[in-house]
Amino acid sequence: MPDEILLDVQRLTHVFPLTKKTAVKAVDDVSFQLRRGEIFGLVGESGSGKSTVARCVMNICKPRSGHIFYQGIDTCDPAAFRANRRMLQRTRQLIFQDSGSSLNQRMKVCDIIAEPMKLQRITPPRGSYRAEAMFQMHYVGLDAGYLDKYPTSLSGGQRQRVAIARALAMEPALLVADEPVSSLDVSIQAQIVNLFKHLQKEHGFTFLFIAHDLAMVEFLCDRVGVMYRGRLVEAAPTVELFANPLHGYTQALLSAIPIPDPRRERARRLAGFHGGELPAGGELTEVRPGHYVLREGGSAR
Amino acid sequence: MNERFELVGIRPQPVLILPDKAGRHQGRPVFSMAVLAVIVLGCLFCELVITRDPAYMDLQNSAAAPCREFLFGTDSMGRDIFSMIWYGGRVSLLIGVLSTLISTAIAIVFGAASGCAPAWLDGLMMRLTEILLSVPGLLVVVLLQAVLGKANVLTLSLVIGITSWTSIAKIVRTEVRQLRSSEYVVASKCMGGGFFHILWTHLAPNFVSSIMFMVVMNVRSAIAAESTLSFMGIGLPLDIISWGSMLSLAERALLTGAWWMIVIPGAFLVVTLLCITSLGNDLRKNINRKQSSL
Repeated sequence: MPDEILLDVQRLTHVFPLTKKTAVKAVDDVSFQLRRGEIFGLVGESGSGKSTVARCVMNICKPRSGHIFYQGIDTCDPAAFRANRRMLQRTRQLIFQDSGSSLNQRMKVCDIIAEPMKLQRITPPRGSYRAEAMFQMHYVGLDAGYLDKYPTSLSGGQRQRVAIARALAMEPALLVADEPVSSLDVSIQAQIVNLFKHLQKEHGFTFLFIAHDLAMVEFLCDRVGVMYRGRLVEAAPTVELFANPLHGYTQALLSAIPIPDPRRERARRLAGFHGGELPAGGELTEVRPGHYVLREGGSAR
Repeated sequence: MNERFELVGIRPQPVLILPDKAGRHQGRPVFSMAVLAVIVLGCLFCELVITRDPAYMDLQNSAAAPCREFLFGTDSMGRDIFSMIWYGGRVSLLIGVLSTLISTAIAIVFGAASGCAPAWLDGLMMRLTEILLSVPGLLVVVLLQAVLGKANVLTLSLVIGITSWTSIAKIVRTEVRQLRSSEYVVASKCMGGGFFHILWTHLAPNFVSSIMFMVVMNVRSAIAAESTLSFMGIGLPLDIISWGSMLSLAERALLTGAWWMIVIPGAFLVVTLLCITSLGNDLRKNINRKQSSL
């Protein structure tokens, strides 16, 4: 069932109140689908609403309007959420950006990894919770000697591996990673992204990967969505998007990738983008099979 | 797969064995801890220490000055003060610990509930604690004790416990308000953690250090409260021996010039309270040091 849709986000809108009279539209009319087993990348500048989408998908934020269907269940509906709470908490897992704050500093690594299993009352398949934690740590490339360490005595890359191990211990169907590598240095980033690719191949989970690093997304993802000011402006398969970007913002974003060759880097031209607000309205239209672009106000580009 | 970066597996780490650090006890209140340990152990194992039955009234030797037979003298009812000190210390310390347990439990649950609650409920709960804080504690204690009837160890600890939780609850609430939006709490909620799970595994270990000082000080004030109440005659009756009920004979002792009846239990009480205070101060200093090195 390669084409089964696991996650269906429909016209998601989220508004953060600033004061009593003003508010910020963090996510504005965003729709996309995740097929089972694919890696979907969400890119965009900071403040473009990527993390808010992830938080809405994980039920941390309650969206202002719109629907999120996970395996056909409307998770934004409180009654439907409550009825399927256990299943939803078990099969959807989130990895945060900063592992320094997403791991409790007063808990040992083995307790951190075993926490979701204990909460969901899963009998560990490898005997004890400790053995299970050890297995998961080995899986993400950590020595078992770190089992009784506290997160503060681990490096950033090791901590992020612990966070990944915690998420993978539940064998999730959907893994949401909210900028999982942004707080790490480049060589560790490469290791973690490789690890993700490797794990995804073995587990086959569906992966919503949020990043602002385009090279990372090109390497890892099957499909990419580009967000700008809370709107999804373009969504296409990775190869197609990088070869043939259609939206002005995507072109500007792609032209901003540095080239590791001084001569070509000097010749590189930044595509301009007006940088203002997008005009209201507009629909995502399919221009090529699987390639969607936001047509502003219905006018052709 | 990207060939330039290999999957990094387990790397061997050289392990260094460090020598034990010397002078670990430097700056710690060793003396007061030792004195406190002597007093607590003496009270716990008072059967081994006492020389006479502390409740036996030897009327022939009432109000005897300290001598070889009665090490600390006897009180006006002829009871041996040396035996009473250890035997009664057990009750005093028990009341201190028990009422602190009660007040800390109330404070943690109430403070955490207030910290996690929406703003209006939080405001309501905090105003409630402020009202309780503004009423003199002694007044509430007397009122509650009157409702509960004749005092014994349990009711007295309960009464002291439920009148002394407010300040700890305020600290807990402030800490929880900071901690509740941290990502590991959000993550735990995502994974299906309930209120008490989050409170116990995520919140409590993070705020316990900041209330530890208050908790230790609560033991001290509970012991002092018991003594005050018994001294005023509304605490434990004379037949339940505690440091407070021993002090309740003091006003008569002062008239007859029997200084030992008031000085000796008073000295024990003051020394114990001072030791607990210095222990609490040390805890607070340690916590500050630990937080700065994080």
